[in-house]
Amino acid sequence: MPVNPEVFEKVKEALVDALGVDDDEVTESATMVGDLGAESIDFLDIVFKLEKAFDIQIPRDELFPDDILTNAEYVSDGKVTPEGLEKLKERMPFADLTRFEANPVVQDFGNLLTVKDLCNYVSLKTKAA
Amino acid sequence: MRFSQLDRIIALEKGKSICGIKGLSLSEEYLKDHFPRFPVMPGVLMLESMFQASMWLIRATHDFKFSMVVLRETKSLKFQGFVQPGDAMHVDAEIKKVDGSLTSLKVSGNVDGKLCTSGRLVIDTFNLADRESTVDPAIDDYMNLRFRKEFRRLCNHLDPMDLSDVQAAPFAVTATN
Amino acid sequence: MRWFWIDRYTEFISGQSAVAEKAVSLSEEVVDDYAPGRSFCPASVIVEGFAQTGGILVGQISDFKDKVVLAKIPKCKFYCEAYPGDVLTYRVEIKNREGNGAMIEGTSHIGDKLHGEIELMFATLDDDRFGNVELFEPAEFCRMVRLLRTFEVGVNPDGTPIQVPDHMIEAEHAFLKIGSGLEPGQ
Repeated sequence: MPVNPEVFEKVKEALVDALGVDDDEVTESATMVGDLGAESIDFLDIVFKLEKAFDIQIPRDELFPDDILTNAEYVSDGKVTPEGLEKLKERMPFADLTRFEANPVVQDFGNLLTVKDLCNYVSLKTKAA
Repeated sequence: MRFSQLDRIIALEKGKSICGIKGLSLSEEYLKDHFPRFPVMPGVLMLESMFQASMWLIRATHDFKFSMVVLRETKSLKFQGFVQPGDAMHVDAEIKKVDGSLTSLKVSGNVDGKLCTSGRLVIDTFNLADRESTVDPAIDDYMNLRFRKEFRRLCNHLDPMDLSDVQAAPFAVTATN
Repeated sequence: MRWFWIDRYTEFISGQSAVAEKAVSLSEEVVDDYAPGRSFCPASVIVEGFAQTGGILVGQISDFKDKVVLAKIPKCKFYCEAYPGDVLTYRVEIKNREGNGAMIEGTSHIGDKLHGEIELMFATLDDDRFGNVELFEPAEFCRMVRLLRTFEVGVNPDGTPIQVPDHMIEAEHAFLKIGSGLEPGQ
């Protein structure tokens, strides 16, 4: 789904503030961790900033499904099982998991979320509200 | 400067970047308060180290012509790891942008290559006499001399030149580690 | 150099907001020689003032059982310097709180003049990695929090005074007994 430009601008502002990156680094396809250098302490900051900018509530496990990724039921040999992948898709309908599915190494999960995913997530939340 | 939070400058390229070291000793009195049972370098002193490294870079870049170098802004400043007594923090600062009297820098600190702090700083540089008509420019001159002397102390190990001559021509630091 | 960067609280509303004061003096080790000719209070020390004002506010929510540390400063701006003789007034507010973190927003004023603005993020040290770590001696910590007049000005949102947590009172009692030469429990 195409990204709403208004949503993108607000998300961009939050990311520029939270990550200390330049405006032009925040593109739709940029990954949060790999391209923008987000670290675990940044995610809480990003969540707080998005909640404020969009007046929404963001339960932590919706954006960062640590509970699934650390659950022995859904992980085997450091990879997410098919059942786990189904769970992730259910939890994160806004994220494009195609690339992750090809080689679902848990460690790589953090690097898959893109700016576009984040925009889609926020759009879903604001519609639901 | 009694509140010195940098022990040594190991590399400096004027207008570009600086690298320095700050060691943490258990004998620092403030570690009894921060924290009594878990002595670690306060995050704000990591900030002060990175600011002071940036300050020396800016002073050296301007050949010690500006007396006041003050922190105006920090952006996305993070504390990723603890610095403990016995650790030496390596501090890096790199100039990203200069806009009038304001310099933006990217800064970080690491211990044995492990990142413990990072962020961006915006620093203002000026002379008191240029901003306040009542100030005697001699105050700026005095401060600039004092900072030049202090700078020499941080660079002592780099250059065997005569250190009593603090009024000498701009101090060119080219040595690396 | 000790590590107290606020002098006292003047307002403290549990879980919500606090106001603290800090007088800047030329006698301070961080100030006297910092900019010889026009010394001022280092910005980092002012950030610590904000962090102490906010950190104790966050810690009090768990009766000081959580180990709260400064994790990130998303934003910080200073509009002028604080010179000897100035009194800084720190006002902080808890903006957001989640499991292991809290976001604080604050301002500092010198009189009526806006001096600085800040956002601070605190994190709680998790028990997995820091279960064995204690930050403070309980009785000493209690004395420190008292020193800042936290319990004298502190109120709950309904206006009732906040209480010194039981575990801190116990630690203080134990300390006083040892100090007086009496056996604990006597």
